[in-house]
Amino acid sequence: MGNITSRFPNLITIPKLLWLLAGIVILIIPPISTTATITMVSRIMIFAVYAMAYDILRGYIGIIHLGFALFIGGGTYFVAILFANVGISIPILLLAIVGTTIYSIIWALIVGKIAAKSGLLATAMITMAFAEIMRNMMERWRTVTNGLDGLTFRVPAPFDNRTFMYYACFVFLLLMAFALYKFTTSPTGRVWQAVRENEQRAVFLGYDTNRARTIALLVSGVVAGLAGVMFALLNRFANTDVLAMQMTYNAMLYSLVGGSGSLFGSIIGSAVVVLFQNFLLDLRGVHFIFERWLIFFGSLYILVVIFMPKGIMGFVETIRERWKHKKGGKIYES
Amino acid sequence: MADLITLLITGISEGAHIFLMASSLSVILGLMKVVNFAHGTLFLWGAYAFQMIFNGISGQVNNTLAWLISLLGAIVAGFILGIIFEKVFIARVYGNIGAQILITIGLQIVFTELVRVFWGARVIAVARPEFLQGVSNFSGVIIVHYRIFLIAVGILVAIAGHFILTGTRAGMIIRAGVQNSEMVGALGININRYFTLVFAVGAALAGLGGALFAPIGGTVSPEIGNSSQLLAFIVVIIGGMGNFMGSALGSLFLGVMMALIGWTIPDLALIAPVTLMALVLIFRPQGLFGLAVKH
Repeated sequence: MGNITSRFPNLITIPKLLWLLAGIVILIIPPISTTATITMVSRIMIFAVYAMAYDILRGYIGIIHLGFALFIGGGTYFVAILFANVGISIPILLLAIVGTTIYSIIWALIVGKIAAKSGLLATAMITMAFAEIMRNMMERWRTVTNGLDGLTFRVPAPFDNRTFMYYACFVFLLLMAFALYKFTTSPTGRVWQAVRENEQRAVFLGYDTNRARTIALLVSGVVAGLAGVMFALLNRFANTDVLAMQMTYNAMLYSLVGGSGSLFGSIIGSAVVVLFQNFLLDLRGVHFIFERWLIFFGSLYILVVIFMPKGIMGFVETIRERWKHKKGGKIYES
Repeated sequence: MADLITLLITGISEGAHIFLMASSLSVILGLMKVVNFAHGTLFLWGAYAFQMIFNGISGQVNNTLAWLISLLGAIVAGFILGIIFEKVFIARVYGNIGAQILITIGLQIVFTELVRVFWGARVIAVARPEFLQGVSNFSGVIIVHYRIFLIAVGILVAIAGHFILTGTRAGMIIRAGVQNSEMVGALGININRYFTLVFAVGAALAGLGGALFAPIGGTVSPEIGNSSQLLAFIVVIIGGMGNFMGSALGSLFLGVMMALIGWTIPDLALIAPVTLMALVLIFRPQGLFGLAVKH
């Protein structure tokens, strides 16, 4: 058959069509939806970037960063503190972006130095310690950050427009997804996976694994920091919850549900988890047990780890494999 | 001077209560390589089991007896939950640190929320047993009897734990398992059974810790689990992962340090221990006391 799909087997595939369809749906949501939906989808897109950045560490190079909230929280606080105390304008926003980038680079370099020396567990612990230190500092620095009560601030035009913000988030998601994808398929990205599978072997093959790890930390840290900037612009509010352990747990959950080590899976993961969370919150009016919706949310962690350790992308992959085998078997029979 | 001694007693007793959690967390981490983020939840359930039994029966039976029964209840609650956690959930994810962290975080969220379902989200008052309620004053040195009792329990658990770990066959297997659990398994010992045992005993100790902690502040609330857990993690790092005596020294050190800092520079009371943990991890990853197993 001479149709287009068989001549260009990799050009048009079902997954690509689905992604395209999702993109179109995202584009046409704002004119036909309520502000609440627009804000929620914007949030999903920001969290998707945050989760992809986390997946670079967990899924690609194999670092367990238990203080990942440092980055999204840092970005959020840079915007919040500057807007609330200095002024509200686009140049100030650019200053916040530069500040966030430098801040993220510093943290990435520190963690990179430590991860090169200590094992997986110690790195996990120390990153947890760093995030707790930052959270505590922000909570204590009450004159500027207003502690746990948080900072409310206005954002400059055109970011104060919900629809504009929505499309800005979409462009941000596309740019970051593209950049991260380029990184994972680059030679450095290959070294990341070699380090994850067997660091010693990667060293013996002559790769500078410490350098590869530092690059991974830099890339994911800066991207997550920028996601924090977008998060602040969307919420116009910052309190220490953005630096809390729960924020890191969220990143873990999003990328796990999507499929650890499948970059774009994190996008699906964050959409599924945020929608599930909203669904649970809506159910609160239905039955009083949903007042304690966290029980179901927490169960998600357990169930996904036990029954779907490879996430949605892994699940899809298994089904596709099975389907291929079936098709192959039929051809063989005839 | 009198103030200083009072502070020291407070600090040492805080250390004793952290020790009950940290020692078991440390041995679990060392032996099973399991990062147990649900340890604070076991502590929380111990505290709630204690308050439920104690508030329920203290009017009907002798106060001391009711208190002892409640402590036993907390230990049993921790032990049973520990077995369930290990057998049903954690046993599925051995060797996969990322999955362990996620599954124990899930357990932490669910079981903390269950406490709110069963007992409500509000703060519940818990009294000290009558015979430990007193306060003595020796020329300015204020001694709270309950704190002395806590120190005694801490010392007792440290001695008993040390004896079990160094003087018995089970302890020897556990120590060998901390060094190399695969090798122990290869010698024909069912190391998985020891995993369950250590986890359940550790959970029981955490439960006891919760029960003993509740009467210090006089209340329990669903939030106490996580704050104690963070301190326990800090002690595990300071003392060296898997090192029982290291966690005893670490708890003592942390308790006294926090009491002194809380008195002099209260703003740093929370930052200081976490900073200490970060510094220890950077400069002495084998633990502050240099006795520990390397990972």
